[in-house]
Amino acid sequence: METIPIDQINIHERRFCISYPLYDEVLFLSIKRLGIIQPIILLNSSPFLIITGFKRLESAIKLGYTKIPCTIVDVSEKEALLYSIHDNIKRGLNIVEKAYSIEKMLHMGFGTPETYETMTILGLEPHEKVLKNLIAIAYAEEPFKDFIITRGFSMKNIETLLSFDMDERRHIIQLFSSRHITESSVRETLQMISILKIKRGQIDFNEIIDARNMDDLKKRLKKMINPILSSLEERLKNIKHQCALPPNMDIKVDPFFEKEYIDIWIRAKEVQEIEDAIEKLGRILENGHIRGIFELTKD
Amino acid sequence: MNLQRINFVEAKGNIVRDCPGTKNHICCGYKTIDLIEGCILSCSYCILKTYINSPYIKINRDIPYILSQVDKAIEREKHHILRFGTGELSDSLALDRKYKLNRPLIEFFGEKKKALLELKSKWAYIKHLIPYLNPFTVISFSLAPQRIISQEEKRTSPLYKRLKAAKNAQDQGCFIGLHFDPIIIYDGFERDYEYLIDDISRTLDLKKVIWVSLGLLRFPPKLLNHYIEEGRKNLLHGEFIRGEDGKYRYIKNERIKVFKMLYNLLKNKEEKLFIYMCMEREDIWKEVTGMALKDNEALTGLFDKRIKTLYGGRL
Repeated sequence: METIPIDQINIHERRFCISYPLYDEVLFLSIKRLGIIQPIILLNSSPFLIITGFKRLESAIKLGYTKIPCTIVDVSEKEALLYSIHDNIKRGLNIVEKAYSIEKMLHMGFGTPETYETMTILGLEPHEKVLKNLIAIAYAEEPFKDFIITRGFSMKNIETLLSFDMDERRHIIQLFSSRHITESSVRETLQMISILKIKRGQIDFNEIIDARNMDDLKKRLKKMINPILSSLEERLKNIKHQCALPPNMDIKVDPFFEKEYIDIWIRAKEVQEIEDAIEKLGRILENGHIRGIFELTKD
Repeated sequence: MNLQRINFVEAKGNIVRDCPGTKNHICCGYKTIDLIEGCILSCSYCILKTYINSPYIKINRDIPYILSQVDKAIEREKHHILRFGTGELSDSLALDRKYKLNRPLIEFFGEKKKALLELKSKWAYIKHLIPYLNPFTVISFSLAPQRIISQEEKRTSPLYKRLKAAKNAQDQGCFIGLHFDPIIIYDGFERDYEYLIDDISRTLDLKKVIWVSLGLLRFPPKLLNHYIEEGRKNLLHGEFIRGEDGKYRYIKNERIKVFKMLYNLLKNKEEKLFIYMCMEREDIWKEVTGMALKDNEALTGLFDKRIKTLYGGRL
């Protein structure tokens, strides 16, 4: 290990940099308190090129350091990139960093077998489709990268997000940002937005941007994609409202209005409750409400 | 035509099976012969993508073994006239010009005279089969408006060729089958289907159409993502729900409307046409045809009646 002046390092050259985001508050505070414990690795060239330690150097410069502890190695550029990737693996890479690693490997001319091997080491499926997604992530806009890292999205959801253009992604990120989301609710919502886009050719985000929460958002999207089903649900709700069923009675209809039959549910603790329920049922039948339910799917 | 690799395999196990049908829907008791597994045609909606997990097309070359299974099935059946088809896991005709797989089957059914073979296809080439055709083979074509053929049924024959081949089969003394399946709801589909049915009635002798099937687009959930990824506007135009069998299908109101429209258009052309719905519910049958079909057995009975009407004592 040696210590060299920072001005002998090309701090703008990031060909081996896979870190994202570059600024790390925790690391900054640690270096401020204890200094750089682990030396950075530099490629022996003039000026020196950083292989690992971009974040440490960034913090050091911010703290006014003029010299930095380092290890200088004499390896090929390809080797240097692998040093960078493998040195960072132990801290756990986020998806953008994985994407950078793979994109830089391809850019430096690594072949498919070596790239796939690294993808496997990084816990990624060695598949052409995944590779394509990683490259798209590497080149995506910063808000998108920040968003997928913060939310820890699965590759499936990232892939769906990537299928939208940048402007649409901006709206979608805005939709999700202030709401409580889960992996499955995102998947479901993105699928609905995708279908809507195919059906209409474009999405008018004004129709959904003010949704109160994810449930409201899904409800609105469903209404746009499934107008008939939504209208049937509404009509059923109205009929049931007119029936004014007591809490111990219910009329259960297939959620998709597929089944030919309905279930009439009565809960009773004593004979009187059954008699009351039957009487109520008689009135509902007489008023044509049950017929109305049966006819919902026959229009 | 793509050059998908063909693997010839030894026939093993049950090559002749009951058409799987679908839960809580009325099915017709069809028998499938898995002569070929996989397809060289490239229909965007094809469910084989989810059923067959192989990059190759498999051809079962042990024809005597297959025929012995068909024979056993025919001999075992005491109540119904069996209908067999090779179009479940492949297109019946697309590879036939090259591999000539249907000829022994056609000859077998012609000699047996106890059951029917249906060759169901979107590939309109039957010239090589003409010398061997007999009334016990039904040549069937899947039909759709040319717009759908062009956009969703890549590598298949155009409509006019399918109709021409169907006419040719009729001229050879064969009954033909027509399959409107999958029917796709898209902007302007009503008018396109009206024109299609006009074309059919002008080209073909509807009295020599043994059956017409109607089946609206339905697909397993896995395919929804394919359709989204490929931006299939035609396929995603309608309103889908998850059926009781887990498949996506158009919402019931829409199915009833479309079936009624097509049923009436077809019946207006030929009142005696035998029209059935593939994998549909009891109440849809009632709404569309007025018939109260309780189960699969009832539909199989209708097929028996139809065949007896057309074949009389010959079968």
